[in-house]
Amino acid sequence: MRAYVIKRMLLAIPTLCGVTLVTFLLMKSIPGDPVLGMVGERADPHVIAQMRQNLGLDKPFAVQYLRYISLLCRGELGRSHYTNRPVAESIATKFPNTLKLAGAAVAIAVVVGLTLGILAAVSRGTVLDTFCTLTASLGIATPVFWLALLLVMLFSYVLGWLPASGMGSGAPAFLVLPALSLGTRSAAYLARITRSSMLEVMTQDFLRTARAKGLGEWTVTLKHAARNALIPVVTLAGLDFGSYLNGSVLTETIFGWNGIGRFAMEAILKRDYPVILGTVLIGAVAFIVVNLLVDISYAFIDPRIRGMRR
Amino acid sequence: MNKIWHRIVAVVAAAALCSCARSSIPPDTVRLRLSGSPTTLDPALIVDVTSGRIAAKLFNGLVKLDEMGKIVPDLATDWDVSQDGRTYTFRIRSGVHFSNGRELTARDIEYSFKRLLSPEVASPRGWILSHVVGAREFSDGKSGSVAGISVKDAHTVAITLDSPFAPFPYLLTMPNAAIVPEEEVKKWGADFGFHPAGTGPFVLANWEQDVRLVLTSNDGYFGRVPHVKHLEYRIIPEDLTAIVEFENGNLDVLEIPSAEIPYYLANDRWKPFILSRTGLNIYYLGFNCQQEPFRDVRVRRAVSYAIDTRKIAATVLEKRVEPATGPIPPGLIEEPALTTGYDYDRERAVRLLNESGLAKGFRTKLFLNTGREELSVCEAIHSYLRDVEIEAELVPLEWSAFKKAVASGEAPLFYLSWWADYPEPENFLFPTFHSSNWGAAGNRARFGSTEIDHAIEDAQRTLDDTERWRKYRETEKMVVDEAPWVFLWHRKEFVLHRPRVEGLKLFPIYSADKGTEILLNP
Repeated sequence: MRAYVIKRMLLAIPTLCGVTLVTFLLMKSIPGDPVLGMVGERADPHVIAQMRQNLGLDKPFAVQYLRYISLLCRGELGRSHYTNRPVAESIATKFPNTLKLAGAAVAIAVVVGLTLGILAAVSRGTVLDTFCTLTASLGIATPVFWLALLLVMLFSYVLGWLPASGMGSGAPAFLVLPALSLGTRSAAYLARITRSSMLEVMTQDFLRTARAKGLGEWTVTLKHAARNALIPVVTLAGLDFGSYLNGSVLTETIFGWNGIGRFAMEAILKRDYPVILGTVLIGAVAFIVVNLLVDISYAFIDPRIRGMRR
Repeated sequence: MNKIWHRIVAVVAAAALCSCARSSIPPDTVRLRLSGSPTTLDPALIVDVTSGRIAAKLFNGLVKLDEMGKIVPDLATDWDVSQDGRTYTFRIRSGVHFSNGRELTARDIEYSFKRLLSPEVASPRGWILSHVVGAREFSDGKSGSVAGISVKDAHTVAITLDSPFAPFPYLLTMPNAAIVPEEEVKKWGADFGFHPAGTGPFVLANWEQDVRLVLTSNDGYFGRVPHVKHLEYRIIPEDLTAIVEFENGNLDVLEIPSAEIPYYLANDRWKPFILSRTGLNIYYLGFNCQQEPFRDVRVRRAVSYAIDTRKIAATVLEKRVEPATGPIPPGLIEEPALTTGYDYDRERAVRLLNESGLAKGFRTKLFLNTGREELSVCEAIHSYLRDVEIEAELVPLEWSAFKKAVASGEAPLFYLSWWADYPEPENFLFPTFHSSNWGAAGNRARFGSTEIDHAIEDAQRTLDDTERWRKYRETEKMVVDEAPWVFLWHRKEFVLHRPRVEGLKLFPIYSADKGTEILLNP
């Protein structure tokens, strides 16, 4: 297992290099000029030229890219063109907020999704199955931003139960609505995957053996069937978690959540290259780590995989 | 027993989790909203309104604006202007201290102004002092000093311009002309923008990037000490969320989002607490006057006649704007306008197109920034133009790409606005229509007229207010006649406040609001 992990970490290095190169290429090829946004509505041409020179934007593409790589090798992510704040410092502030939101959203998704999926599977063909399936379909069809606004209107404005925005110095109440709006769609997908996976497992012989041994139906379902149905569920949950760690722009914007997503989006709109590169890089690292953890979890869910890896 | 215990835990957990959506109201804090975080609070680097609005409360300049937009003393108690109109001698107030405790002297004025012009800082607003003798040489690195800035003594500084320039005092009211302490700039270096130290009525108490800023009153302020202890600015990007926060009592002042203005104007509960004023701005349809067919003034006039701006203002924009007849916003100067602009006249538009040889119409592209309102407006414009056989393909672009397309001259037709940096009509004429300012410098229409250039320059040199205003109006008439833009409207601003807030005023320019007028009902 240790060798496997080390191998995966080493493979991450060329992956990250590729990510920086592709991101750099994309950034430079999209229309827009960061300096025009920085100088405001009235600027002398010589100031624009000076600013471009100060930021190194007048250098050839290869020179700019190598400069950035050398910055990375020194453990830095540069400074924002707009605010001049160190990118690493901003990410260090915002990433924990995104991690918190992502964790809460995935937790909601897993609990609700698994519950709905298992219920639908064990009551296949009944009204409960139809209800669970329809609920999941509704969740998939509902846009995140629309749900977020609806939750704000209902729970904050009409009922006055929960705050509409901000992070409130970490109070759990501020996390509820953002996590719900973000996690609902994932829960819906997980419910559908869980149902399909459970239905496939529940036809297998080992469950008949378990029943024959006198185990109760819920024990058979939860302890034996569900565990064997977990692989695709964990895969999907892992993909969602990795995606959320890259930031959820709409949710963070609507709820004023100080996370990576909103930070990255504003940087893209302003062409703030160091911030774009920094957030993409961190997002790539997050995805690599999450994928690794998901792969490792397979070995614990299904011991046969552990044996295959040896 | 277990079941009861579980139920108790569940109820307690739910109660702990569900903090009320309405937080307690702090008695000494006014809570406001910003839709985005300030970029920096370093005066030399500020280009956005949000940063300028905050900086106005932390810093002072030599002069400032009153609520009518008139120049009044700030750090300077008074000043003389030499006979030739070139030298301004400012006498600096005694006993003014920076937030670090040090007393301000005339040397700080010299330092701050040199910093604004310094090539190392490369301030985008160095043009504020471009008329000062020696400014260009200093900015280009050819000189180590600015000859036109002279410290006479600890409380007197003289600024000499290369020629008379009447708007100069107005430029000194901009946030970029604020005075900063050298030792703080050197201490913080590139991070000075996050650790501002000024002489203003407030000091920065706390700044959580992209979350909130808190300003605390400066009890040692030399001017009127603020009535309130704190100003808390919450960063809330989404308009609907901001409205919910205001309705829940978590905000005291809200600039009403465009889409909600009709609702609040019709709301009997909130209507008495709405302040409104027409802003110093102009929204326009710009022509690229260097591209066919818009080189021809007849075509530009035809497009101007073809669009019913009053109808668009009344319907699409629901009277949130005031129709424009020229570039200068209403209320800026007492002298009445000499032009009535272009009223909707389809027949006249068609006649002008026939005269210019475009009887069959033509195809063009209308560039706009992506946004719900921009799209609605431009769709209406597209419809009017189609009625006179002009097929204007809408090209919505996100902001950065849009700016580049306009600045580079790619866009033949574009929908844009111009907002005042200072309340002087020159700000609506020189940067926007003088031929030296093509592209990113302000004249995005790439319009050029020697006659209008001379008229603008002549007005700039005229120190007598009444005479200068008359010249501005004449120049405005000439500009409108040449129609480099379709002059659409001036946007109004609507600000809503809670009943506990009093003394709130809408200033003509954001930089004029020092936050010292506002107070809270107990």
